[in-house]
Amino acid sequence: MTTQTHHFRATVWQMALMGQRYLSGRKLRTVLTTLAIVFGVALIFAVNLVLPSVTEAFEQSLSTASSADIRILNVTGGSFAPGEVLATIADIPHVQAVSGVLERTITLPTLADNNPLGDIVQIKLIGIDPAVAENIRPFPMSAGRFLAAGDQNAVVFAAGVTELAPELQVGTTFSLITATGLKTFTVIGFIDEQGSLSAPPMYMTLADAQSALNQPGLINTVEVNIDANADEDAVTKDIENALGSSFQSDTASSVMDSVGALGIAFSVLDLLGFLALFLGAFLIFNTFRTVVVERHHDLAMLRAVGATRRQITTMIMIESLLQGIVGTLIGLILGYLLALAYISFIGQFYHTYFAGITIELRLIPSAVVLASVLGIITALLAGYLPARSAGRASPLEALRPATTARVNHAARWSLIVGVVLMLLAVALLLSGSSGAVGGALLFLIGMLFAAPGLIIPVARLFGPLLTLWFAREGDLARGNLARQPGRAALTGSTLMIGLAVLILITATISAFDVLVTNLTNAAFSSDIVLIPQAIAIYDTVIGADDSLATRLRALPETQTVASLRSAATESNGQRLQVFGIDPGAYPRGASLEFNEGQPDTAFSALASGRNAILTPLARSALGLEFDSDFVLETVDGPQTYHIVGVASDVLSFKVNAIYISQDNLAADFHKTEDVLLYLRLNPGEDTAAALTDVQQITQDYPQFTAYLTSDYGGDLIAMTNNVLPLFYALAFLILFPAALGLLNTLTINTIERTREIGVVRAVGGTRGQIRRIVIAEALLLGIFSAAMGVVAGVAISYGFIGAFGIIGWKVSYTFPLLGIIAAVVIGVMLTLFTAILPARNAAKLDIIRALQYE
Amino acid sequence: MSILHTDSLTKVYGDINHPIPAVQTVNLTVDEGEFLAIMGPSGSGKSTLLYLLGGLDKPSTGKVWLRDADLSALNDDGLSRLRRTEFGFVFQFFNLIPVLTAQENVAIPLILDGAPRRAALKQADEALARVGLADRSTHRPSELSGGEQQRVALARALVTTPAVILADEPTGNLDSRSGDEMAQMLRRAVDERKQTLVLVTHDPRIAAYADRIVFLKDGKIVDENRLKGQDRAEQIREQLTKMALS
Repeated sequence: MTTQTHHFRATVWQMALMGQRYLSGRKLRTVLTTLAIVFGVALIFAVNLVLPSVTEAFEQSLSTASSADIRILNVTGGSFAPGEVLATIADIPHVQAVSGVLERTITLPTLADNNPLGDIVQIKLIGIDPAVAENIRPFPMSAGRFLAAGDQNAVVFAAGVTELAPELQVGTTFSLITATGLKTFTVIGFIDEQGSLSAPPMYMTLADAQSALNQPGLINTVEVNIDANADEDAVTKDIENALGSSFQSDTASSVMDSVGALGIAFSVLDLLGFLALFLGAFLIFNTFRTVVVERHHDLAMLRAVGATRRQITTMIMIESLLQGIVGTLIGLILGYLLALAYISFIGQFYHTYFAGITIELRLIPSAVVLASVLGIITALLAGYLPARSAGRASPLEALRPATTARVNHAARWSLIVGVVLMLLAVALLLSGSSGAVGGALLFLIGMLFAAPGLIIPVARLFGPLLTLWFAREGDLARGNLARQPGRAALTGSTLMIGLAVLILITATISAFDVLVTNLTNAAFSSDIVLIPQAIAIYDTVIGADDSLATRLRALPETQTVASLRSAATESNGQRLQVFGIDPGAYPRGASLEFNEGQPDTAFSALASGRNAILTPLARSALGLEFDSDFVLETVDGPQTYHIVGVASDVLSFKVNAIYISQDNLAADFHKTEDVLLYLRLNPGEDTAAALTDVQQITQDYPQFTAYLTSDYGGDLIAMTNNVLPLFYALAFLILFPAALGLLNTLTINTIERTREIGVVRAVGGTRGQIRRIVIAEALLLGIFSAAMGVVAGVAISYGFIGAFGIIGWKVSYTFPLLGIIAAVVIGVMLTLFTAILPARNAAKLDIIRALQYE
Repeated sequence: MSILHTDSLTKVYGDINHPIPAVQTVNLTVDEGEFLAIMGPSGSGKSTLLYLLGGLDKPSTGKVWLRDADLSALNDDGLSRLRRTEFGFVFQFFNLIPVLTAQENVAIPLILDGAPRRAALKQADEALARVGLADRSTHRPSELSGGEQQRVALARALVTTPAVILADEPTGNLDSRSGDEMAQMLRRAVDERKQTLVLVTHDPRIAAYADRIVFLKDGKIVDENRLKGQDRAEQIREQLTKMALS
């Protein structure tokens, strides 16, 4: 080992030892600073554990039990005529067996209590050709027999299903929802295998499946077995080349769209995690500034006996690193616990809406690495500037305080820079949606720069107010803040960011609430609505053929019946939901909120030619313009569609989706099931009586539940509101690092003024007066932070809400008065609360020791 | 032979409109193995001069030479190295690292200079033994009396066997008995190890241990004295009184 290496290691070890000793000497501060990292790491880790686990659960629920060598699907996931496809595949070299399958995972409605299907909420309906299915794989039976050609209304389950439905046995009959209504099926056998329990496979003949799913003569999957010694990848490629770009092997299901929506929610949580880390960084920065101030004698001494700047910097950085490591470790543990808690909570939610999906939390190495790296880097970055500042101080500078002239000079320049940035930001904010987010962030940064220069004027402005309450101590408090505007601004900025985020979140929530309410009220212009088990994404829904709509139209009180049909596809690599509507009837039973285009023109255009209305999210995701063309993958190949409108309703505004005519949906996607129905009654009809009539009909179609539209709309709004408390709670949690920062600053201020406090006490000041000085200073800081926070919060909320326009959501800005009041009250209360301990410590100082303090 | 030498050394604080001269045109030579005391009234620039001599502060004009090394030509790392190897500092307020033991405090300059930890701690033990604290090496500063803490600080200053020891009011915070003990230890370091000592003090009893005293007033050397005889402290008091009255 070279002398230099040895030297470096020896000093690093010594610095680490000192760092560890200092940290354990200030346990409370160490804990509080470490907590700054914990929260952010925990949130990010939890999010990055949960989302993949949920995604995996969805993927597993969709994966088939099939052990076919190769599975071929249409790129849209839709159904197609088997003839040519099967023949083409059969001709490929090394292909041994080919079998057409029609399968769909369906959500089962709650039927009678004695339903033999028991607790099964989702089932995978698999229609196979019994004549060739066993060429693909064997079906060893544990009871009964397998399917035979000609079987009708007969099903075979995997034996594992009896764990969920113990009453099922050979000969059991049960009712199953189909597109033509409830049908009775008989269990004829059990396959000797476990099968998926999240969506147990249920085999029936292809003909029965085609009837149940209203897909006569169609399949949606081809299972292929190849020669044992054949190269599977090569054969797969040959098959895909032969079939063309409309087909691919084993594509991901469109149910991933719902995970995509979940992903958006988790991105928000991820963002909050990053924000928490950012605030945590502020806190650590503040703490290490405290540390450098507190230890300036020790640091000066070290420099005096020969420590270099680099050695001093290293020492502070090692402390920062140690805190980062500990904080990250605790954050990982806490994050794991958060994820566990969330999984157990969300598992119940998914069991209700997506049914049978079992979410298991896995420890994902990449999530561990991501959260760890972020936590440690945050701590290091936050500690860097104070460490560098400590190293830069000469021994004598560290023994003497900075002059006021230098501090004020820095604050003035900072104010100028800040004001310029804020003016630029305002211009961006007013420029429109695209500049809104940038404007919001720039405004925040501008305020951070301007803060030190604003301390003194704000202190002067609110000073008289303070004097009302603190007649004698107010002036001292004002002077204290003015003496170190940089530090006061830094602390105030931490709280300012927290309060601004609080206002942002409350404003966003209110705006969103208004958006959903408006969309809900606009969407449901019908009187009665028939809702399936899952909404917005209908891939696990069995709809109804036109028999249901026909029966509804036949009711004497019905004026109009409009229906929605659904398929899935992709365009330009993006998954899309495709909604089929009757352009004539739909606007009479439901409505869409148009961002671009006119309703009359758009709807009538749907009826002629391949025209489409896009949801704003789809338009943004695909980067398309109104009145332009785009290519859509259909079952039979790509088709060009023309955009005649950009619109959505409350059920589709969060989804990448397009609306086309039901004729086009049938032609291009072979889908003819109604998945949502709207009824408009004749004027003056008794809606309650009409609902009863409708509910009689839906007894034969239990996949639908009939509601009075007014009731359902209210339920939707209530469902949205149920999530709000979680976001409010998160908004408050953001303030936690801010509170720690306040505590730190007030502590530093007390330490730095130890001798001054001793003098005040020596000349007759009481302990109570000392307490009041500290509290007055805290209050002034709180008012400063609240004022800055309100201004920043209004600006960034305006920006962020304006940014929703980028993705086409018409969210109008409402001045967040309640949020502002809450922010002011919370800001002031928080500062008073955090002042309690420093005030107490200041008051308790021994007079003689305080006077002797250097 | 001269070990420290200043050439028109000046230090001015404040700005151009309000200059505050702390040290004015000081020409001073300290011989190797000499015990020099610097005295003067409060605000005379004693500590400033000491800091300039040890490279802790940069002069406004003039130079400081350690043997033939011009301190003003050194960068911060160079000065730091000098402080580790050539200078030993003793301050009025002990300035020990509170989270380290006495042994570890003494070993700091050695470790900062790259000595292996074990060897540094062994040398620290020897230095502590020289100041009579061998049995207190594992105690932290908070567990030591004021006198013991200052002895630890002295051991730290001596552990690197520096060419020059610079002491700023080393007895200022000690009772008279501890102060005398400290002064005797400093004297022994000069006599036994031929180390040079520059000590700032306002206490005539402590200054009486020196070979030579320079008197500072308003940043300038106004008098110098090589004391002889038994009643040195009394002579110093008289000289200080004369300075105060003039």
